[in-house]
Amino acid sequence: MSTAPARLFERPWMRWTIAVVIVALAVVLPLVFPAFTNQTLARIGVFAVAVLGLNVVMGYAGQVSLGQIFFVGLGAYVTAYGVTQNWNIALVFVLSVLIPGVVGLVVALAAARLGGLAIAMVTIALPIVGVPLAKRLSEFTGGSQGLSAIFAKAPTWSGLYDDQWQLYLVLLIGGITFLLTRNLVHGKYGRAFAIVKGNQAVAGSMGVSPYRFKVLAFTVASLIGGVSGFLYMVVVQYTSPETMSFGSSITLLASMVIGGAASILGSVLGGAYYVLVPQLTNAINPNLTAVLQGVILLAVLFILPGGLVSLPRTIRRLWTRTRRGGNPSPPTQAASRQADLAEGSPTERQGQA
Amino acid sequence: MGTFIQLVVDGLSTGSVYAALALAIVLVNQATGLVNFAQGGMAVLSAYIALELVQLHVPLAIAIIVSMAASFLLGAIIERYLMRRFERGDPDTAVVVTIGLLTLVTGVCAWIWSYNNQQFPSLFPSSTVSILGAVVSVSSLGTILVIVVIMVLLQALFLGTKLGLALRAVAINPQSAAFSGMPVGRLLMVGWGLAAALGAVAGALVAPQLSLTPNMMDSPLVYALAAVILGGMTSPLGVVVAAWLIGVLENLAAVYLPFIGYDLKVAVPFILIFVVLLVRPQGLFGRKAVVRV
Repeated sequence: MSTAPARLFERPWMRWTIAVVIVALAVVLPLVFPAFTNQTLARIGVFAVAVLGLNVVMGYAGQVSLGQIFFVGLGAYVTAYGVTQNWNIALVFVLSVLIPGVVGLVVALAAARLGGLAIAMVTIALPIVGVPLAKRLSEFTGGSQGLSAIFAKAPTWSGLYDDQWQLYLVLLIGGITFLLTRNLVHGKYGRAFAIVKGNQAVAGSMGVSPYRFKVLAFTVASLIGGVSGFLYMVVVQYTSPETMSFGSSITLLASMVIGGAASILGSVLGGAYYVLVPQLTNAINPNLTAVLQGVILLAVLFILPGGLVSLPRTIRRLWTRTRRGGNPSPPTQAASRQADLAEGSPTERQGQA
Repeated sequence: MGTFIQLVVDGLSTGSVYAALALAIVLVNQATGLVNFAQGGMAVLSAYIALELVQLHVPLAIAIIVSMAASFLLGAIIERYLMRRFERGDPDTAVVVTIGLLTLVTGVCAWIWSYNNQQFPSLFPSSTVSILGAVVSVSSLGTILVIVVIMVLLQALFLGTKLGLALRAVAINPQSAAFSGMPVGRLLMVGWGLAAALGAVAGALVAPQLSLTPNMMDSPLVYALAAVILGGMTSPLGVVVAAWLIGVLENLAAVYLPFIGYDLKVAVPFILIFVVLLVRPQGLFGRKAVVRV
């Protein structure tokens, strides 16, 4: 009984209907929402793309990266610099994606030689070094004051307000990025990432070079970070060294885990967490912002280790358990327990011997 | 020449603070396979506890020892009631838990003691001594001495006592240790407690120099992580040597390389890491991890 709605969602016509509905909502809703809602949604879109990039390298390929915000900041700086130099906006977009990608590739070539958490500790260097570097290169970055660039004004022919036009841009560019990434991680590259995440030795024995796929995942993540940086300039129109501070970097990581690792929908939820929770905690009590954020983060991890995206699954499991209450069926429970054991496989730890 | 010696001694002194924090990180990593990003935040909390005691007219040395004991308890409690739940699961989630802990601890410190700078008294007199014509502060020498003593004590604990043997056994293989009848859970608590106490020492040593704020340990934490990678996760001695190397090199680079200067000296350890890792991915002193499939 409980599986019926799940099966309904797997039908092709149902999926197409949902896609059409989502696109229709994305076209209509910005026209009716107030400006503040549109701006908030656009910011969520920006950081959803940033979280998506982090998800590629961390959620799918299993390499903890604390440097994703650096690529967002780099993309934003390239955009701001290009706009102030009056370059063609298409060229600016391409550069704001390619330059972070190239930097990401160079960093990955060195960082991917490391295993496990060492990558986390190397990528932490990116925001830490990035902030003073941005202050130093004030010729290009405007130093501590930062750069502002206003280029995403609604054209007069469209008859839209600026906030609507910006939200459409975010939805279009972000939507294409999400679609491309979804196709990437659902195809053979996604399977290669999964095996690299699961066990590198096995990956190597199956002809999947862990090194090459780690570098690939990292580079794709920095390209997506660049897209997010461009969108950041579309919406926020201002960037400073603080954009890529260490604090933002760890908040981004927290957002990804809270939204749900290795999940496309989880990236959107992560973007929403990144934007909405600081607003919420500020509204409750500005003195307690950090305490509340820490508590929320730990609470979500305690209740939903799989992130917000696993909420329906958890509810469904609780639902079936309570319904089965009087008449528990031992075989299925034993099976699920075995699956749990297999997930937290203890053999991985023997490597330290 | 005088400046050079002064820079080297000061570098060794800041390096010693990084070393204390780095040793704490290695201790936790060896016991539980995690990197605790909250180690610095917990050290700040310990420093605030010591400061509260000093303001109650407790002598500084006793205040630091009491705060070490309190940190030991706190570390053990955090392991038992927070980290235990995540140790067997996805390591990425566990890392994010420590990041949540960092946010929480920093937030609590800021809530109770505010973000304003507080003066923390130094363990050592502010006088200077002259070595080979260089003027060197006593507090630098004292900091170095404290770390050397701690290292000797840790080595003695791990190599010379039954508790140390048990801790090493749990670190190497928790399953086999449990089969041999060792209280694995309690030993993990001891490991986290020891790390927190070490962090308390680092906090007390660095607070007089940086003046105490809730974010004080953020940049020492980054240097400590750099030292951990450079020295290799598996080698406490290597980590201390790497921390000293980082402290000295960044001091020298800040003064002698005009492009680096004081604002970019944080890049020095990471440039060093890049160069070293291209040659020795397991770190300067680390062993290669062998993975059984």
